[in-house]
Amino acid sequence: MNRAEETTAGSPVAGNSTATDSSVDPASFRDPSGFVFWRNGQPYRQVNQVFAADWDAFVASGLRDRLLDRELLIPHEEAPSELSPDGQAWQLQRVEKLEFVSYPYEWTFGELKDAALLTLDLQAAALECGLTLKDASAYNIQFRGCRPILIDTLSFERAEPDAPWIAYRQFCEHFLAPLALMALRDARLGMLLREWLDGVPLDLASSLLPASTWLRPGLAAHVRLHARAQRRYADGGPGTDGTSPGRPRPTMSRQRQEALLRSLRGAVEGLRWDPSGTEWADYATNTSYSERAESAKKRTVEGMLKAAGVTKGGTRPADTRPAGTRVWDLGANVGVYSAIAASVGASVLAFDIDPAAAERHYRRLRADGQAAILPLVQDLANPSPGLGWAGRERRLLADRGPADVVMALALVHHLAIGRNVPLPMLSLFFAELAPAAIVEFVPKEDPMVRRLLASRRDVFPDYTLEGFRRAFATDWDLAEEIPIEDSPRVLFRLVRRA
Amino acid sequence: MFLYIDPGSGSLIIQALIAAIVSLPFLLRNQIRRGVGAMRRVTGRDEESPRTQ
Repeated sequence: MNRAEETTAGSPVAGNSTATDSSVDPASFRDPSGFVFWRNGQPYRQVNQVFAADWDAFVASGLRDRLLDRELLIPHEEAPSELSPDGQAWQLQRVEKLEFVSYPYEWTFGELKDAALLTLDLQAAALECGLTLKDASAYNIQFRGCRPILIDTLSFERAEPDAPWIAYRQFCEHFLAPLALMALRDARLGMLLREWLDGVPLDLASSLLPASTWLRPGLAAHVRLHARAQRRYADGGPGTDGTSPGRPRPTMSRQRQEALLRSLRGAVEGLRWDPSGTEWADYATNTSYSERAESAKKRTVEGMLKAAGVTKGGTRPADTRPAGTRVWDLGANVGVYSAIAASVGASVLAFDIDPAAAERHYRRLRADGQAAILPLVQDLANPSPGLGWAGRERRLLADRGPADVVMALALVHHLAIGRNVPLPMLSLFFAELAPAAIVEFVPKEDPMVRRLLASRRDVFPDYTLEGFRRAFATDWDLAEEIPIEDSPRVLFRLVRRA
Repeated sequence: MFLYIDPGSGSLIIQALIAAIVSLPFLLRNQIRRGVGAMRRVTGRDEESPRTQ
């Protein structure tokens, strides 16, 4: 994976970058062709001298401009080279700051699949220009709204004639293997990417995939036989530069390279997953609300979002981050209330623990062309931690904020009763994410809470409306408290205490 | 080549093998197209399929 990716993906999006004046992104250290650094909260990418010829070839080929025109490459512009932290820049780029950096282990099946297809498209486009994609890291792809985009501008290099695709293995481990596991075994196996940041080992994927994958030529070749080849040649073989002892490096004509890409594309496109049958997939259609209550809740939430300052212009006029208020919809399910937030001008991250609900949400957004919402899979009782080298390459969820407004609708009871998280801890968690919150309290008499308590002892004496008010009063000032018509539930709009 | 990731020896070999195999149908198709094109030219019917190479 390259630095650009990590750099941009590391902290730029997260808003509360730790960079003060100028600092190299903690995720940007692997690729010697350049690195990402932060300066006054703005991400930059340096092209190192050693990569100058490849960078110039990329630009001269016209590929960069075409990718920018098609919005497949992160926008960037040349910056004064004197900003270079080490004075060794061939070129500096001022890179568009992402709204949020998400990670592959937070993506839905469809998001990972779309990122995979984009990567193959990029390699195909590169081949046409005499270039090649020198890495195929899933971390080089980010989402702007629901659209995948390459964030590493240093991913292209001049192709050597008849050279195999150096990033083939990485593509299979970052994309194909986890997609196959998600589609054919269990969508929750996407979380393997959280454990294996360099991609799911192919021998592991092979051992987990159903035996029937031997009958799928793409998977049989690119995962199963690939895993065997890795094992067989684990002690070395052809050198990538043809200089090592043993066999010379295999060669591949342009025609064969294109055939390989077609085969990979076929394998990826052939993976389908029906997002149903999980715990929450049909939750939105199986709620306990009456129509009147649901409609009242929608009206109230919209009013609270507006009162919280949600507009296209952002809540803070001096905000230097991308325009638009950032709303984090926690427990978004299929995104009913995310859509309301987007409709009043917010850019929304819609988190849900259930891969099926998030996938359905993503598919609908893609179909509708809605660009202001990104669904992500997230277990809020075990949110994405800091991972990778020194635990700083992939950042903790809370470090990638803050949001402007956090919404927790029909969520508190799942965490407080379903996961035994005390209300004061919930209050503190929300307060770490945003300065404003819209929270729904679902009392014990609600059918959904009764269901949660049906098979267990009620050890939650403080889980009452008064207990909720008391717990949240530590971190928040109450701005509004509105009971939902025709329902025992109550909506709170809260403002974090200074 | 600005190599900074490990392409893997086995991965290089298997991709070359796979690529050789999956390119065969396209190679065959092109050969058939050429053959058909040549035959049509011989029989004077090439104008019926202007896309034939």
